Amino acid sequence: MMPFLIRVLKARELSIVLFLAGFFILVGSINKEFITGDTIALLIKSSAILLVMAIGQSFVLLTDNIDVSVGSTMGLSAAVTGVLLTDGYSLWLIVPAVLLTGVIVGLLNGLGIAYGKIPSIIMTLGMLGIIRGTMLLFTEGMWIEDIPNFYKELSGAALLGISLPVWIAIVLVVVCHLYITRTKSGCCFYAVGDNEEGAVSVGLPVKRVLVLSFIFSSVSASIAALLFVMNIGFVPNQTGSGMELQVIAAAVLGGVSLTGGIGSVIGAGLGAVFFTVISNSLVYLKIPAYYNDAISGFLLLAIVVGDSQFQTYIRKQSARIIRNGQKGENKGERQTTTIT
Amino acid sequence: MKDKRQRLLKWEFALVGFLIIELFLFGQLSPSFLNLNNLLYSMNDFVYIALAAIPVTFVIITGGIDVSIGAVMGLSSIVLGVLWMNGVNVWIALLITLLVAAVAGCLNGILVAWTNVQPLVVTLGGMFVFSGIALVLSGGSSVSGYEGISGFPNEFVGLANGQLVGVPNPIWILGLSILLFGFLLHFTRYGRNVFLVGINAKAARYSGINTRLIIMSTYMLAGFGGGLSGVILTSYFSSARSDLGSEAVLPIITAVVLGGTSIFGGKGSIMGTAIASIVIGMTQYGLQMVNMTSQQTNIVVGSMLIIAVLLRNTHWKKMSKSLSIMKK
Repeated sequence: MMPFLIRVLKARELSIVLFLAGFFILVGSINKEFITGDTIALLIKSSAILLVMAIGQSFVLLTDNIDVSVGSTMGLSAAVTGVLLTDGYSLWLIVPAVLLTGVIVGLLNGLGIAYGKIPSIIMTLGMLGIIRGTMLLFTEGMWIEDIPNFYKELSGAALLGISLPVWIAIVLVVVCHLYITRTKSGCCFYAVGDNEEGAVSVGLPVKRVLVLSFIFSSVSASIAALLFVMNIGFVPNQTGSGMELQVIAAAVLGGVSLTGGIGSVIGAGLGAVFFTVISNSLVYLKIPAYYNDAISGFLLLAIVVGDSQFQTYIRKQSARIIRNGQKGENKGERQTTTIT
Repeated sequence: MKDKRQRLLKWEFALVGFLIIELFLFGQLSPSFLNLNNLLYSMNDFVYIALAAIPVTFVIITGGIDVSIGAVMGLSSIVLGVLWMNGVNVWIALLITLLVAAVAGCLNGILVAWTNVQPLVVTLGGMFVFSGIALVLSGGSSVSGYEGISGFPNEFVGLANGQLVGVPNPIWILGLSILLFGFLLHFTRYGRNVFLVGINAKAARYSGINTRLIIMSTYMLAGFGGGLSGVILTSYFSSARSDLGSEAVLPIITAVVLGGTSIFGGKGSIMGTAIASIVIGMTQYGLQMVNMTSQQTNIVVGSMLIIAVLLRNTHWKKMSKSLSIMKK
């Protein structure tokens, strides 16, 4: 019974769901409007962008790397989306073009990290500056407005009562989850992050996996940009700035470890929802919006530090149980031998 | 050891060489660039990067990273402004501000040193918390986000805008900071311990060094540096704003890494960081003179960061060795 309990407690997805439920009950008990269906639907809709990016980021984090360029990638992709839309191109051309932007950025990141041996934080920090600057050269520092109405209306399009952005997020979660848990190449991400040298020695294409993870991360930022333009209807020149930090915070909240090999796509997604819920709940608590960052930051630190202490405790406990269990078995053997 | 020192010196010389070439090129593009007074006063624009980057060097040498420095800068600016607005003498307010910044860094340090959470996550959370508190302070005292708190007394504004013996004050402060932190890192037992923690934390612990205290103290220094930088910037603009350092993280980390500090820890120098900050600042200044906006210059700063690490990753020694073997 105990080992099973520990396994459940170790599953980070569960603790985040419990946190989320507790948070809903807490805020709901103060303001009943918070737990109505409308509010929850709104919260999930507004977390779609962060959720998509957190899924992409989790691939990079799983390989023991980090991508801080996603915010600026989202900005550049949003600018590309906006310019192509206002020039009147068809969606069949725009979507591939925007995704290609992401692929190119991810490819550059991945090549520098896998083949140039540049630490990922440095490479993506440098790319953050480069991409942000490129976006501003591209838009000449202007905001892009006049996004055609048909595109803006897409965000309201709904199937079975679920709007398009949320459908995209759900499909991505399911596809990525199945890919990373059920396919051979998906498992490579865990293997590389858990033990890179080991992965090299068993013959995994480590460099290709690294490049792929950065492409996934950048493409997720491009998809988020498509959703962003759909939701907001214009492209400010600061689009996506600071987003990378929210994305990483969301993934970490969802139990993805920055040291690689631990975490799941579903966890990252839940983390993104939780992060959005925290920052949107303040309105319902009648706290002024400028408390937002302080409270999310404090909760992030509290949860991450608390969880790290808790996991250390659990690890010690389970180690003791295993030791005791072995002792018990030995004792049993000895007894049987004496009887015979 | 001698070999290592030689290599470090070489890197710093390379930086100085690069700086000279850069000055020459920009001088060709616009003749007014090379005017000595212009150059000295242009440094006021980016001294704050060096002031923040120098103490961050300590953190990166221990193998950590601090992305909350920009937020500490904004926090200290707004703390100073709010204290002054409420009638505290501006110099006492300045001291309290530096203390607050050091405490902020100390909190980061305690979490990094005493828990298993990675430095990046801790300082990321710290960044949200500090910039959040700054927003609360400015929002709570109903300061408009764009204008900030202004109307500081002339003596305080003179701190960053005045001059002494013909040299602008910020450059004096930079020189002082280089001397102080350079001495601390390169000539004291504390500095050697910082290096040892970065090279091999386990060995450092077994040789009786209180590694946790060392790690915690480096974050405290970084916080103090962020506070100093925020104060100077507040005085320079003579206005206190909560978003003062929000764009500073990229140039600060770039300065430290371009200055030869290894992101894996164990290697680095204060002089390198200082020279690299000047290189970055001059690049930005020069590019702005040829009509680029400061955000567009990020393309160049980012490329510099990546190229510098690529160059340092290449094993020149191995290459020259293999070349000489081939010659034989």
